[in-house]
Amino acid sequence: MAILKPLLYILVYPGLIFLLVYSTFCEWFDRKLYARMQNRIGPLHTGRSGILQPVADIIKLFAKEDIVPEKADKHMFSALPVFSLAIVCTAALYLPVWHYSEAPSFNSFSGDLIVLFYLLSLPTLIFFLAGWHSTNFFSAIGGVRVLTMFFGYEIPMLLALLSPAVLADSWRILEIARFYQNRPLLMLVNIIGFFIAVIALQAKLERVPFDIPHAETEIVGGQFTEYSGKKLAFFRLLGDIEMVVGAGLIAAVFMGGFPGGLLPGLAWFILKTLFIIFLLTAMRAALSRIRIDQMINFSWRWLAPLAVLQLFIVIIIKGMEL
Amino acid sequence: MSIKPGIFLPELLRHLFKKPVTVKYPFEKDPVPKDFRGNVVFDPPKCIGCMICVNDCPAEAIDIIRVSETEKKFKMILHNDRCIHCAQCVDSCPTKTYHMDGEFETAVLNRHQLKIEYK
Amino acid sequence: MEFKVALGPQHPALHEPISLRMTLEGEIIRDADLKLGYNHRGIEKLAESRTFIQNLYLTERICGICSFSHQTCYTQGVEKLMELVPARRGLYIRTLICELERVHSHLLWLGVAGQEAGFESFFMYTWRDREVVMDILDWITGNRVHYSMNTFGGVRRDIDELQKKKILDTLGLLKTRTEYYLNIGASEPTFANRLAGVGKLSKEKAIALCAVGPTLRASGVPMDVRKDDPYAVYDEIPFEVATADSCDVLGRAVVRVKELLESYKIIEFLLKNLPEGPFKVKAPRKVKENEVYSRYEAPRGENVHYIKSNGSDKPERLKVRAPTLANYAATIAMLKNGFIADIPLIFAAIDPCICCAERLVQLDNPRSGESKVLSFSQLRAMANDRYKKINFKKKDSAWPF
Repeated sequence: MAILKPLLYILVYPGLIFLLVYSTFCEWFDRKLYARMQNRIGPLHTGRSGILQPVADIIKLFAKEDIVPEKADKHMFSALPVFSLAIVCTAALYLPVWHYSEAPSFNSFSGDLIVLFYLLSLPTLIFFLAGWHSTNFFSAIGGVRVLTMFFGYEIPMLLALLSPAVLADSWRILEIARFYQNRPLLMLVNIIGFFIAVIALQAKLERVPFDIPHAETEIVGGQFTEYSGKKLAFFRLLGDIEMVVGAGLIAAVFMGGFPGGLLPGLAWFILKTLFIIFLLTAMRAALSRIRIDQMINFSWRWLAPLAVLQLFIVIIIKGMEL
Repeated sequence: MSIKPGIFLPELLRHLFKKPVTVKYPFEKDPVPKDFRGNVVFDPPKCIGCMICVNDCPAEAIDIIRVSETEKKFKMILHNDRCIHCAQCVDSCPTKTYHMDGEFETAVLNRHQLKIEYK
Repeated sequence: MEFKVALGPQHPALHEPISLRMTLEGEIIRDADLKLGYNHRGIEKLAESRTFIQNLYLTERICGICSFSHQTCYTQGVEKLMELVPARRGLYIRTLICELERVHSHLLWLGVAGQEAGFESFFMYTWRDREVVMDILDWITGNRVHYSMNTFGGVRRDIDELQKKKILDTLGLLKTRTEYYLNIGASEPTFANRLAGVGKLSKEKAIALCAVGPTLRASGVPMDVRKDDPYAVYDEIPFEVATADSCDVLGRAVVRVKELLESYKIIEFLLKNLPEGPFKVKAPRKVKENEVYSRYEAPRGENVHYIKSNGSDKPERLKVRAPTLANYAATIAMLKNGFIADIPLIFAAIDPCICCAERLVQLDNPRSGESKVLSFSQLRAMANDRYKKINFKKKDSAWPF
């Protein structure tokens, strides 16, 4: 029994199987919402109202020819997609969806917030390496843009995640969530941080308005230009799973987590992540892509100072409480 | 004009609750207009064999062949794979032998099926 | 570190094949060059072997978006050669289609600008509303893209009261939507900041580089063939030439939206003052020996056809100068010292119609990079040589590609 639960945790819920199913569902939700906002229908024919379309897309990509460029570093080129997918799947294990015990375990300990954040940053570096090792001009430009953007959004996001942790006086996501479950009104204190985190998550996911590294009309596919077939499928899955994990992280830290054990916890998880994905989709639909210099300007002129302001507010409130 | 972030958002959210404008094409079809230029249709008895249509057709898609030696009878071979649906033949014909129908789904797998004979 | 890179001929930002050769320094463009000739179709040569009536439909197929521009330009030229005075009602209907085409082309451009800037919702909405114009055109001409409305001496179809009423009814909708898009384009910060200050082209430079159309008018030069050298019935219509002084991509967008609003006014005027009478007059088949130079203000700028006749029913020479060709020199000047991210926007801002502008093909040796000039007789000898080598018994050998 002691072994069974971690195994279930890693493989079924919230591990691999749940993640694969739920992330494809989230992609469908995102696409359908995006289409409806644009007065289109969106995915329609595969499954009931196109719900299986993302799965079909991935199956199709797996069946396609897989090309490795002649000049590319073959081992790195092939290993990177698998690595990055493994990393985000690992990151998902730290989401506090199924924790009964107070005692620290392998997936919940003091400091897991930082570990989760770290694991979510790694795909960005892998994108850069993927672009660099493709030895293509467009990939290289895409890779460099990935890194440039990384310096823009990473610090505001960390600062934004820091403030609820400071208020809850813990580095453990489970405890942060529990703190806000007990005192829901204090969630309102972090409202600025919440929006900063959502914007930074959008940048991390490289979606409009921050899809600068793989801006289709400028640099073709950016860091993914040379990727095809299975490897591209891995990267696409990576994007979906990263969206779920990122949304889950923000929901756990800012919105009081997912209380109530297995099934109510699952319901809360789906509800809260879908809400954040709705925000991300609305942002994607309402804005246009910005230039890389505008992005850096924006994140250092607005996001970072606002994140610091949020931290100050939290410190003042904490001082008043004590 | 002033800068307003998210000015497009109300329009987007409003359309979430509206019916999509997309026509589910192969299942539902929009009607074609009255004077739509579809396929060329030929009415053999009216033809007098003046060959104006053959000379005017920009795509050289029309062949008119005399059927009998004695009578003034003609058949027309329409090369629909070349036809550009301009309806110049309809305009050029002095006896109104031609008209256009409303058909627009003319794709076939074999181009020889597009050779249509009107007798 | 400077490095050279070629965008295209296959690139997602380019809808038609053209090669943009850039010299980059990081994200900044230091030098730019264009290479044309990927889609040469030999239309001018083909026109010489066809009658004037057949060429009506050939010139229409020079372009898909401004098909009516090329056809009208050609028709007006041939009418001048024939010394034919077209029917007045026909001219009114012709002008009406011209303006409807301008509306659909400019709405298309707005969508393309949104798509190039990554503003997909804007693209979807403008194209949805463009369908309204497309439906009107479909309804009154019988087809969505190639209207085939022109004939020598007028137009081929009349419009009735019902169609008139329907067009007048939809104009209100189009007007509100266009004003809404102007508001969105100028107020949405992410979009407006992408367009403003990008692709500067000063007034002097625009004139010196012979830019045409909205590109020129956005640099503050009120030059419009409809006003300067009126054709059809434009001399009877009150309208203003839209200009902007910002000299950038935003200015070009504003010029196009203003032109849309002017076009709605023109359409309303035309429909309300549509004269009675025949819509076409009979035209002769043969044209006497002469030459003519026909100008037309296409949505993209000044379109020019030169037609030479030799007394037969076929033209001796047809020369087409599409507006895009005139704007290439200005494009190169605009691209210099811009960002990579601005390439698609600057290039799209001239509303390029690349295949319409292809009048020449240059064959380079791919290995040595050499190009050579062949005389007509050499070319003919080459063609004959090649023809002799073909084994006609083998299937598909005549067209090996």
